[in-house]
Order: sequence, then structure tokens, then C-alpha cells
Amino acid sequence: MKNKHKILVNWVGYITVLSLLISCKHHEDEYHSITDKIEAKSKSFHATSTTSELHTKHLNTIKITEGEHTFLIPERTGEITSFACTECHSSPLKEMKGTASKKAHWNIKLQHADEHTMNCISCHNGDNMDQLQSITGTPINFNKSYQLCSQCHSKQFTDWKGGAHGKQVKSWAPPRTALTCVNCHNPHKPHFESKWPVRYNTQKIKERE
Amino acid sequence: MSNTTKKWFSLNLGSRKENASSSSCSCGKKEGDCHSADTSPQQKDGFDQVFDVPMDRRTAFKKLTASLLIGAGAVSTSCSLVSGNESKEKAQIDWEEQFKGNYKLMSEEEKKATVERLARSYELRTGKTINLSSQGPEENVLFGYAFNISKCQGYMDCVNACVEENNQDRNSQMQYIRIHEMKDGKGFNFNEADDNYYHEVPAEGHFYMGTQCFHCDNPPCTKVCPVQATWQEEDGLVVIDYDWCVGCRYCMAACPYDGRRFNWSQPEVPEAEINKNQHYLGNRLRKKGVMEKCTFCVQRSRAGKNPACVEACPTGARIFGNLLDPNSTIRWVLENKKVFRLKEDLGTEPKFWYFMD
Ligand code: SF4
Ligand code: SF4
Repeated sequence: MKNKHKILVNWVGYITVLSLLISCKHHEDEYHSITDKIEAKSKSFHATSTTSELHTKHLNTIKITEGEHTFLIPERTGEITSFACTECHSSPLKEMKGTASKKAHWNIKLQHADEHTMNCISCHNGDNMDQLQSITGTPINFNKSYQLCSQCHSKQFTDWKGGAHGKQVKSWAPPRTALTCVNCHNPHKPHFESKWPVRYNTQKIKERE
Repeated sequence: MSNTTKKWFSLNLGSRKENASSSSCSCGKKEGDCHSADTSPQQKDGFDQVFDVPMDRRTAFKKLTASLLIGAGAVSTSCSLVSGNESKEKAQIDWEEQFKGNYKLMSEEEKKATVERLARSYELRTGKTINLSSQGPEENVLFGYAFNISKCQGYMDCVNACVEENNQDRNSQMQYIRIHEMKDGKGFNFNEADDNYYHEVPAEGHFYMGTQCFHCDNPPCTKVCPVQATWQEEDGLVVIDYDWCVGCRYCMAACPYDGRRFNWSQPEVPEAEINKNQHYLGNRLRKKGVMEKCTFCVQRSRAGKNPACVEACPTGARIFGNLLDPNSTIRWVLENKKVFRLKEDLGTEPKFWYFMD
């Protein structure tokens, strides 16, 4: 009887030691996958002290809210050489046609969709050159030109709002500043040209030898 | 020797029982500092760590021989009346650097001290100042990366920016990032990919994808390091202590993604091109015979900036951010796009996702 008791005590001892060893494997920092880890750790997420402000303070931005997303985009009108347009476009386009006024915008050739789909007035308002206009004629501010693009490119628009299309400026930290469509794409010629790479890959085999 | 003052890892081959407790961190905790929590407040720095501990004669001799050159230099300069204060300081720095511990196990003060020594040493040698940081990981941050395969055009701006940012050796043309040119419709066929393309890009019928260190959450590379010179930090960055690495290249062999690069010769960067904004675990100047790799630009990312590759990419194919922040763009990508990673079945859990438009 006494012997049995001893064995029992021994077993309890073994099991305690074993479970201690095993429990070491299940540290609270351990997750089965990165998805579990992200999910678990972001439950108690607190905003970080790191912000983007230090890196973006020299930028002139405006705040926009589109759906559930609110973020900053670069201010545009200040970037356009010779804004406001009405400084030259003092009368409606129709009246300026054929007059002896100086030729302007000679370098702009529209290469965007085809002529069935787009011409100048698909985006510009001939009666008020300081504003853009949507397909239905509602005015759109030059600062929010993305609203024009989103009329057709709705998939890209969704991705851009979320952050999968376009570029976040300077910093990964909040608040987020994103480049807007026209910061990368020329609206009159949105396609990217092919070009030579800025440098070449090293010979992989050579390096690994 | 008590575990609290131990500043390096040694192999425990079972002959010494008292080491058993320290090796119990084979429990698999992946992230840095398994010992830092219980380190005592009065820690020793520099050669005190080595000389102020009981050790057997053989180890003592070994350490002394290894340090003979530095020691001799220090003695001769410090005893000489002719040599100036600067060379004495230099010798003192070399002496203390020689005996410092593993960065992973250093206290905050020790990290600061070594960073200051290294910056001062650079100043003494070149007359130029560098900004060397020892900034640690921030809580609530876990860095992750996403790469848009539909966007990458093979322009290589990222590689250019990376080399400049991270002071990589110019002679051997070391590059952390590789851009692979692949044929459409063949999937990811790395064997047939062209990594050395020489023509205008994008080439008709091809797509481009970049690889670099993926900062795995379960990194095989850190586990094989015999001296634990490489480890994962709390913010997910997999880093290397270049002063602790012995150059055995085990980690390079263990990495399934070709993420690591080795310095076969003394890396050289022209003085004018050196990026002087540096981090101990990042782009500080390396030496011959040590391993290095992408650190997600630790010197930038911990300061809140995007890595150099992300900033340089003209197509917006590269997305970087905090995986723990539910409002970050990287989280939106992971939750709304069809993402995948390379060799997912290995269980390495890379924090680098690919996706398409
Ligand atoms: S990609 Fe390679 S080097 Fe980078 S963490 Fe993963 S295993 Fe290590
Ligand atoms: S090369 Fe350096 S970092 Fe890699 S396993 Fe060897 S000692 Fe560790």
C-alpha cells in the first residue's frame, strides 16, 4: 500500500515536470500562423507614437474623405503652372476660337481612350476653365481630379482608396498621405512608356559561388 | 558563471549541467531577447564582461591571444609619450569593441555605448561624423510588406535606391533585391526566370517580380546560427549583428528564399556616397566575411519612414506598413486582395505578400 502511494507521488512529480517542460513550448507569444498573430496582437492595438508628420510636413496637402477612408492628398492647383486658367481664358472657349490670341497647349495631344470616348470636354468645362466637370456636367475641383478618373476606373479607385494602388508618401505611419492619380499619370497620356532599367541585376551565379 | 551576466551563447553539448537552464529557450520563442527580461541592473560593459568573470585557463589564453594585436597596440600607444590623445582613444575604443557582447543581449545603455564608440571611431579614422542609431522596436508595430506583381515593370529603381541607402559594396555589386523577369502564363518559374535582363522594360509577354529577405515570422535562418548573431526583433525585423557574425554562412544555406548576401571582400563605398544616417543593425559599414541582407531599412522604418525601395518605386508596386494597425494600407491589401506568399508550405511565415490587381 505504502509502495503504491510512493509510485503515485512519483508519477505526480513526473507529470508536473513534464507539463512544465511542455508548457514552455506554448509561450503566450507563440502563434500557429502569422495571421493568428496579427489578429491576436491587433486586438489590443494602440496607436503608435511614430507618425508621418515629421516626414510630410513640407507637403501642401488637403484632407479627403471617400467612403470609409479619410486621408491626405497633395494639393494640386498650386502645382499647375499658370493656374488659374481664367487668367488667360477670360472668355468662353467658343469665343476664343479663331481669334488672334497666342497659341497655347500646343504640346498636349490627347492619348487617352479613343475619340469616340473622350475629348477635351470630357473633363474640362469650356465655360469655366477653372473647374473640371464630370460626365453629367457637375463641376469638379482641380484638387479632386481623382473624382473624374473614378468615373471609368472604378476598380483602380477602390484599390487606391484602400491603398493597393498608388503610392503612400514618405511614411508608413499615420496619418496617411497618398499620391493622387495625376501625380503619376499624365491625364492626357496616362500610359507608362517602356524604358531602360536604371541599373542591371548582378550575375546571381557569380555572387553565390 | 551565472546566466545573468553571460553575454554570449555557447554550444551546450551536454557536458556542463549548469547551462541547461539557459538552453531551455529552445522552447522556440522566436523573437529577440529571451534573456533580457531577467538581466540585473548592474551590467558590465566592454572587457569587464570578459575579464571580470571566472574562467578556466584555456579560455583565458584563447581570449588573450585573440586580443593580442589590439592589446599590444593599446599598451604601446597608452604607454608612449609621443603618440597623441587621439590614438590612445582609438586604441581604447578598439579594445572595448573587441570585448563587447552580443548586441541582442545588451542593455539599452550598452547598446548606446557601442553605438557611440563606433561613431567616434569613424570620426577619429576619417574626420567625418555619422549618425549611428540604436533605436529599438516600438510596441504595437509589426512590419509587413506587399508586392503588386501586376504593377512591377522591371525598372530597377528599387535596387538602385537600396544600394545607395544601405551602403552595399560597390565592387562586388551586392544587391539585396532581385527582380526576376518571367514569361506570362508559366507561373512562378524561378528556374526559367531571367534575372539578368538587358533590354527595355517591360518586355512584351513578361511580368516582373521582386524578391528580397521576407522577414519570416518563423525564420529558419536565425535558428541555424551557431552564435545567435541573427535573430528576429519584436517588430518583426530579422536582423544581424555584424560584429557577432562569424561568417559561417549557415543562415544563407538555411534561407529558402535566397535572402542573404555574404561579404567575400571588404565592402567599399566611396566616401562621398556613404549614407551617414545609419543604424547598428542596418546600413552601418560592414566588414569582410560577414553576412548581410535587407533589413526593411531599419534605420528608416523605425524612424517612421518607408524603406528606400518603397519610396523609389515609380509604379507603386511596393507597399509597406504596420500589420497590427487595422487602418494601415498593408492591412487593407491583406484583407481585400488575393494575396499569397512564396513556398507557404514550408511554414516559414514570410511577412512579404504578393498580389495582383
Ligand atoms: S527570407 Fe530568408 S533570410 Fe529572410 S527571414 Fe526568411 S529565411 Fe531568414
Ligand atoms: S553567417 Fe553569421 S549570421 Fe549567418 S549563421 Fe553564420 S554566424 Fe550566424
